[in-house]
Amino acid sequence: MITIEHLKKTFKKNKVEAVKDVSLEVNDGEIFALLGPNGAGKTTTMRMLSTLLVPTAGRITYDGKDINEDMLSVRRRIAFLTNEIRLDGQFSPDELADYYGRLYEMTEEQIRKNKQELFDYFGITEFSKRRYETFSTGMKQKTSLAICLLHDPDTIIFDEPTNGLDILTQRLIEQYILKLKAAGKCIILSTHILDLVSRLADRVGVIVDGKSVYCGSVSELASSQGVSTIDEAFVKLYEENHEEQAIITKK
Amino acid sequence: MHGLWLVFKHEIAKIFKDKNLIFGFFVLPVLSLLITVGISMIRPTTTEAEEYCLYFYGINMERINIGELNEKQIYVVSVEEEPSVFMQSGKFHNYDVLVDFSDLHEINIYYHEEDTISSYLKSTADSFVREIYSELYRGRHPEIEFRKVVAEDLNEKEDDNRLIAMLLPYMLILPLSANISNFSADTIAGEKQRGTFFQALLSPVPPLALIMGKIWSVSLISLFSSGIYIGLDVLGSRICEANGWQDLFGFSGIHVSTAEFLLILLYAVLLCYLFSNLGVLISLFCKNANQAQIAQLPVTLACTVSAMMAMFRFGTSPKFHYLIPVYNICIVFQDVLHAKVRLENMAMVAVSLLVLSVVLVIITLISYRSERVTE
Repeated sequence: MITIEHLKKTFKKNKVEAVKDVSLEVNDGEIFALLGPNGAGKTTTMRMLSTLLVPTAGRITYDGKDINEDMLSVRRRIAFLTNEIRLDGQFSPDELADYYGRLYEMTEEQIRKNKQELFDYFGITEFSKRRYETFSTGMKQKTSLAICLLHDPDTIIFDEPTNGLDILTQRLIEQYILKLKAAGKCIILSTHILDLVSRLADRVGVIVDGKSVYCGSVSELASSQGVSTIDEAFVKLYEENHEEQAIITKK
Repeated sequence: MHGLWLVFKHEIAKIFKDKNLIFGFFVLPVLSLLITVGISMIRPTTTEAEEYCLYFYGINMERINIGELNEKQIYVVSVEEEPSVFMQSGKFHNYDVLVDFSDLHEINIYYHEEDTISSYLKSTADSFVREIYSELYRGRHPEIEFRKVVAEDLNEKEDDNRLIAMLLPYMLILPLSANISNFSADTIAGEKQRGTFFQALLSPVPPLALIMGKIWSVSLISLFSSGIYIGLDVLGSRICEANGWQDLFGFSGIHVSTAEFLLILLYAVLLCYLFSNLGVLISLFCKNANQAQIAQLPVTLACTVSAMMAMFRFGTSPKFHYLIPVYNICIVFQDVLHAKVRLENMAMVAVSLLVLSVVLVIITLISYRSERVTE
């Protein structure tokens, strides 16, 4: 279980307060969607969750332990996949899987077994000896996903996982997310595609201007705002909480 | 330490799998060597010998043929010009020998040790001198005392070493700093640019292992690549000047013992390690390889200036010079080649470089978690 308490992040370089006050809870075996407009602080929150950034204030606990106290063991249990992730193009998926598997201190047997399962699922097996740089965008994304999941993490953070992918690859990834959920994994999903949220997520957190403004089940999101769809609920939450928009509305 | 060896091997493999890097750092030097040698071969050669001569000064004799070597005739020819004047003239070649017979107490044979023909002719000249003395003077002129024959090598060994000592820091530092700048810029800033650094940052490898793996791989590959450049450079110049295959091997003209060579190599490794530390630190703060290369320009420039300053250094240096990074390595190279090496100076340089490298690693580790790196 992941608990985020009054998380705050101010970047020293440009003094930007990217995250002001975010509090969320994510349970094991659920898909938690993180929603928010561009620049709301979703990516910064996820980077803090994956130990890449240190919070300015607040606390993130993973099964009750502060994640910044033992970062390396948290990293062994977490996978973070964004569409920015690329792997070394000179290597084949096979070589990359061996390298990252060893970095995660997996045994050769574990590497072989997980590699075979993931490569088969994503249709990489027949290209596993080819250089990563020769792959199409979708194939690269699938390979990145397979490599990220190779160490069998308990928690998987997806930042826009289906961006720029064709419908078939999108569906494959969606199905895999559901498969991970069925295996009891905790999945945090950041996306702008609300349809994806309504289809996959169990609970949702909404961030506006660096503050968490909603944390609850997807089914209750619309009703809690007195609207009929999550699109409308999201827009309403944004209008109520976005600082500039709130001033205009008041006027 | 978990991951260090894995990261190191992965980085090395990455370089060897990159066609552009392979071409730039390994194939290009070989091509440039072939071009240099090719140009030297189409150049009209002026050193092709028609005959070999033992020139004699201070004795009059007819031009006589005393044998044959490599299908060329060997002649004994007397000359009238003073040895110093004659040696400067175009008639005296590197493969010839000049015997100064003007002083019977000490007969000088001038030859070039470096040249195998000249060395052979020197032995012939020595026997010939003794034969002439026996025939002309022994028992007939008891007042004339024949004492010794002195063979004088015309290759100026000290000058050769002085030249190499002047050039070596420059020859080493230029390719080293350029290679390290390229490799270290590619290793982190290049990875950020390609989006591959993210996955490394997320891995459970201790930051020290990750950083050291990268630094060591940059050091090794830069040293290897610079070694190829310098080695082929030396080989190219030897091929252009060599008279035969045997001249290509060994270090004729460069008088560096194995111990001295190993000392130079050790300090080159230290220098490489220091540069790599600095290169990786700079690369950590840059967003792409170009930015990292530009940021490293002042370092490359400072290193080049240090090497140039060392080129024009004469005599001994004060103690504190051995504490100035990079410059101290240059003057140590020169000390080794001038046989002026002092243990305390060597130790001071080694310790100062290691301390500086450790400081840089600590700064890199602290910087590793900075927002500029992870954002």
